[in-house]
Amino acid sequence: MGMTITEKIMARNSGRDHVVPGQLVWTDVHTVMTMDYLGKTCFDKFRSLGKTEVFDKDKVICVSDHLVPPPNQKFATMLNEWREVVKQHDITNFYDLGRQGIAHQIMVEQGHVLPGTISIGTDSHANTYGAAGAVGNAIGVTDAAVAMATGKAWFRVPKSVKFNITGKWQPWVMAKDLSLHIMGMMHWNGHLLYKALEFTGPAIESLSMAGRMTLCNMTVDLGAKNGIVAPDKITERYLKGRTSDAWDMISSDDDAEYDQVYNIDISDLGPTIALPGKLDDTVPVEKLIGTKFNKAFVGTCTNGRLEDFAAMAKIMKGKQVHRDVNMILVPASQTVYLEALRAGHIETLIEAGAAVDTPSCAACAGIHTGVAGDGDVVLSAGNRNMTGRMGSKNAEIYLTSPSVVAASSIKGEITDPRTFDV
Amino acid sequence: MIKGKCWVADDYVMAYDIIIQEYWTSAIDPEENSKWVMAGVKEEFNKENAFKDKGYTFIVAAHNFAGGGKSIEHVITGLRGAGIEAVFATSFARLQFRNATNYGLPFVTCDDIDKGCETGDELEYNPESGIIKNITKGTSFQSVPAAPFVAEISEAGGLMNYVREKIAKGEPIE
Repeated sequence: MGMTITEKIMARNSGRDHVVPGQLVWTDVHTVMTMDYLGKTCFDKFRSLGKTEVFDKDKVICVSDHLVPPPNQKFATMLNEWREVVKQHDITNFYDLGRQGIAHQIMVEQGHVLPGTISIGTDSHANTYGAAGAVGNAIGVTDAAVAMATGKAWFRVPKSVKFNITGKWQPWVMAKDLSLHIMGMMHWNGHLLYKALEFTGPAIESLSMAGRMTLCNMTVDLGAKNGIVAPDKITERYLKGRTSDAWDMISSDDDAEYDQVYNIDISDLGPTIALPGKLDDTVPVEKLIGTKFNKAFVGTCTNGRLEDFAAMAKIMKGKQVHRDVNMILVPASQTVYLEALRAGHIETLIEAGAAVDTPSCAACAGIHTGVAGDGDVVLSAGNRNMTGRMGSKNAEIYLTSPSVVAASSIKGEITDPRTFDV
Repeated sequence: MIKGKCWVADDYVMAYDIIIQEYWTSAIDPEENSKWVMAGVKEEFNKENAFKDKGYTFIVAAHNFAGGGKSIEHVITGLRGAGIEAVFATSFARLQFRNATNYGLPFVTCDDIDKGCETGDELEYNPESGIIKNITKGTSFQSVPAAPFVAEISEAGGLMNYVREKIAKGEPIE
């Protein structure tokens, strides 16, 4: 019996030839990521295991993303303690304010995720790493502390579910629309609990790394263990210059066994929106045309990448954000910010009347940079829309793609970018 | 054998409602986290120590307990600090199932348990056999027994103790 790519990765990193779903294994981890507000606890717990040196100083990746730049004294003090503990452990890869980004973006963009390996992180969207052909998994601080000490983590080998994506992407339709479409189709609240979601097919083979990251990122909200795209030419091109570690083209066997297989033809897939409150309450953009909102937000580990900024700049060039809308844009990393700046996208977007803030998780975690207040209606390209997610419990969050946010921000109401005059 | 009163959820119980947003950046500490545990689940629990003061030993829930994709361990330490000794549900969200395992708090999968209990019922749980008795109603349920690895972690008093011991003895983790 053949194995799926996730099973192969679990097998090769646990020193086995073969694994089966349900099996519990301890595997090697390629990297372990932690960030500002949980990181100190990870290091404290790590030392309580009787260790003083981490398993590999190059493989423990530390990122400041949730709390930077500190909006209040509490966070400033937490950041100081965090910096102190990272310094104390002589960590090689520390992405602090100035070199920061959202941890998941940093992990992939800086080459800390390698095809065929396992990387873990203390934040739920660590599933993003699957875009680079790795098993990316979210874990708690206990697992992080153990991995820092031993270079290992325990896993129950998941059953795999295949999403075979065919057809041609319509103009302005993005990976986010497919993510939300799958969310609506499968129901986010645990229908795919514990499963490994594998995205394959012609429409995935043509998808950029940024798109693959969006797709894998949101698999956590389907209850899945991980989302993965097998490495190919696009992965190879992306990783060139980002990592000097050796890796190989790993993929699922033809006779691998899947728990379920779904075929989705995206030729008819249009821009998709999740209504406030639940991720699986999705509708095509047509149903919401004309809906008013007062805040627009694009950023996060889901949609804060260069191609997202490029799409927005193309739509918004020479136009003005509607007077009833405040638009805030937050690049996912300093690298993205600089690239968007050099490409002229930032200039275009600022000229159009958008505010651009320094890379961080921003209002997505509801703790700073453009949080929502009472009565706000937010059109967001983030990843979660539950009550209170961006701040006030009396705010509503619609989730969609950057191209919908861009076109809608000009009009001041929800707009289909396909019919927008670019 | 564990014995005590249960609280039965009447809807999905999400991790971000067990520990609400303003406490995500708190220290991970059973005493501290238990003060506001379940604050977002029900209005009656949105007061300091409100859930804890009820003195429940068990939680009974339906599908995807502690879902919504938060990896924070405050969820588990909060429940622990409030005196919860086991959670019975028809299924669990994987992130918090993992955290519960690491803390040795039994997250026990049991079909139909949500339909067979009411808040305040006296239950008795046998971790070895997996049998959950509802003493108030005189009924009993067979849960899915813990996997050997999960039981081993639980016996060691959690993953930290398990690994600490292995490191101290110089034993491999495999």
